[in-house]
Amino acid sequence: MIDAVMQAARMAPSLRPAGLVMDLQRLGTLVPSRLSFARSLMRQMGRQRWRITQQHFGLDADGYGEVIYRVQTPHGRYHVVIFSQPLEDEQRTDRVIANAWDVTFGLVEGDVEDSLFTTLAENIPLQEAGRQHPRLLVISRANKSLRNFEIFVQALAQGLQPPAQAIQEVGYLYRTTAVYGNGKFGIADYGRLRNNPDFRYPFSAQMTAVYVLRQFSIDQAEHLARVQRPDTAVALAPELRRYLGIGNSTGLGMAPFLIRHPQLISQWIHAREQALATAKAQVPSEASRQRLLSLCIRARQYLIETDIEDVDQAARNAIAVTELGDILPWIEQVTLEEGLWQQLADWSEAALSVDTQELLNTLLIELYPESVDMLEDAMAVEEKLELVPDMPLVQLKQVIETQFDWALAEDFDAPEARYWFWYQSIEKEEPRLGVRGVDPGEAKELPLAVAPRVQRSYRAITAFLEDNPKALTIDFLLAQPKFMECIRRIQTMAAHTYGEIQANLWHQDMKPMHLLRTKLSFLGANRFDPRGDRWVRVTFFQGAPLIDELNTEPTNLYAFDDWSYALAPSEGSEQPQKKESCESLL
Amino acid sequence: MKVSFNELQGLSRKAFIGIGFAEGHADDAADMVTWMESYDLSGLEALNKGLEHLIETNPDTLPEILYQDGDLAVVDGHNLSVLRASNLALELAFAKARSRGLSVIKIRRCRQRQLIMGYLARLSARGMNVTAFWRNAHRPLTEQVVGFRANSTVPSIRVYAVEEVPEENAPNDGITLIMANHVDLLPTMRSDYRYDLLAKHEESDLLAVRERAMSSGIEVAPELWLRLKELAQITLVESFDASRLGAGPAE
Repeated sequence: MIDAVMQAARMAPSLRPAGLVMDLQRLGTLVPSRLSFARSLMRQMGRQRWRITQQHFGLDADGYGEVIYRVQTPHGRYHVVIFSQPLEDEQRTDRVIANAWDVTFGLVEGDVEDSLFTTLAENIPLQEAGRQHPRLLVISRANKSLRNFEIFVQALAQGLQPPAQAIQEVGYLYRTTAVYGNGKFGIADYGRLRNNPDFRYPFSAQMTAVYVLRQFSIDQAEHLARVQRPDTAVALAPELRRYLGIGNSTGLGMAPFLIRHPQLISQWIHAREQALATAKAQVPSEASRQRLLSLCIRARQYLIETDIEDVDQAARNAIAVTELGDILPWIEQVTLEEGLWQQLADWSEAALSVDTQELLNTLLIELYPESVDMLEDAMAVEEKLELVPDMPLVQLKQVIETQFDWALAEDFDAPEARYWFWYQSIEKEEPRLGVRGVDPGEAKELPLAVAPRVQRSYRAITAFLEDNPKALTIDFLLAQPKFMECIRRIQTMAAHTYGEIQANLWHQDMKPMHLLRTKLSFLGANRFDPRGDRWVRVTFFQGAPLIDELNTEPTNLYAFDDWSYALAPSEGSEQPQKKESCESLL
Repeated sequence: MKVSFNELQGLSRKAFIGIGFAEGHADDAADMVTWMESYDLSGLEALNKGLEHLIETNPDTLPEILYQDGDLAVVDGHNLSVLRASNLALELAFAKARSRGLSVIKIRRCRQRQLIMGYLARLSARGMNVTAFWRNAHRPLTEQVVGFRANSTVPSIRVYAVEEVPEENAPNDGITLIMANHVDLLPTMRSDYRYDLLAKHEESDLLAVRERAMSSGIEVAPELWLRLKELAQITLVESFDASRLGAGPAE
């Protein structure tokens, strides 16, 4: 299947050039699409009739203790084990250097027998400091949104529904601060998941754990409300449950991933570009026109309703709202004809902000699930950077000039072009940025910036060729082995259109936020709310079907899948148990 | 203590960088050690034995080509570990075999020779048939042959003791490699001279071992783990209040 998909991709018309797509600022405008892993996971869950049930509920009157959820798939059984513990306010930080959290949790393969539970209870709350069990597929931790949690519990205890406005301002009750997979701290290696049909998509195990935490956040809030006022407490209305997501706070720790996994990134971006090219090549019908209109209206309303603290991001969202409004009459009125979606994309590229362009592209992809969804099978890849030692060195020089021209174009003598350096702190190995020539640590710089390495390699190759015009790559490397890593990357990535982010990661104007957003969008995060340019709060699964809906075995999978750009529940849509909301609690 | 494959690979890589390996070469060395250990072929034991020597070696010392022609090369390993000296020599053999159909490379004077298997696995995965041969000097003399079929990452290994050999005066601390584009080079024991087969690892046995390592982790001596962590820490930068801002402003 993957071969077929990739074959189709190679034959696809008009994929956008890497110089446009891999521009860091553009990548920093991406939003989740139907190929994002949270969406793929929900489709898989619904299609395969996964069942998620609460197996153990051991919270005390303060909401502390442990809760276990079972995840039953056609192929296997898993458990999400969650530990909730008291946390002093001064300990509550989203930074990776934290040592304690409101909740810690893990996704376990198989059953949780008593001895395993004891081991998990001793180690999961310690996170990085623990020795984690190899049957754990994922470990993670999360902190409360204290404000929302208080609003929700108080409202429910009084028999009221919390205001939707609270979710518009903060989309969740808990935000995760790191979600670890792939062998970290002793948990299972990705190699074990590679052939597991339940988790064959990248990050699907992590997404599963996060999805279950969303249910826990609801269950815990309702439990505390019942404890407070057993006589009046009510459950959270289904519409508000749906509207509630799970937050995530991400910092620079995510940035190196984008650079160290260029083949994977290429795969993801290629799939998205293939989906976009496929969508643009379709002949629009009246039904697809109406669908695009409704998606644009929904996305626009979503942006209007979403309160973002970051001034720049809020301004960007406001521009997208205006521009989407401008597009609507065009979509409504133009004659349906072949090439119309290409015209729309061309127009947006020429006239609209990059945020709106990529949002519109995402909505175009949404129109054609039957042609696009199979691309999710092409999102994983076996990664290995390999040398081609017998490549003539002059050919390697040509490859660099052809495909890494963006790296050669940078003037690294300019102070602003070599302003930042990346390093890893001794504090939990947190990646950080330092100012070159000012901050200590330059001697231990992390080699994340690809462009300067390519340029240095290119210069050395050019000089070597002067004396050895018929040399092979291996001849050069035996003389100058320090260039091996870079040349291996160049030779491997020459066959991957979209692997290299075309930016100078040393540049003073470089925004790490764009790197974070690139990955987060593919994971399925939305509601980007940057805190400065080095960390960001996002929300996952807002609007996604609830566990109850999943367990009732949805028959309309199209409707089950249609949950992106969740809108606030309209007034009067709440359950009849209590109609009034409590704006005063805000 | 048990660690995951990825953990061992990651920590080894950082430790090698801490020792002074260049990026890429550290990746290769870590891959070689972890590959060996995941097949229960004593990769960590070999690393542990040679670790202090690795640390003491000048990182600028490089293997040297003594002779080469179209399909043959002799490399002086300068008494380096194969973790430092073998990856590019093997790539040279690969290039020659691609060009001429078959190549022979002798790496003289090298240490921790068994660790070379990890890189051979990488070359075989790129479609090359590979055989490596070396002799251990201790008594009784033992010889080891490791063969990989093209596109297989699992070797076939024979270790055997030999007695009826002429007296040898020169130290035999080299390794001989043969690579062939199209010809299977797996070891099959056949000799008129006496030998005692000491170990025979078939592909299927090794795959089962690897499966176990992936599902239940890899056993590492806590002292070695600690030592690797110490070496890895060399790559990290001390933290202070201002540097914490390097990850963004506090909340």
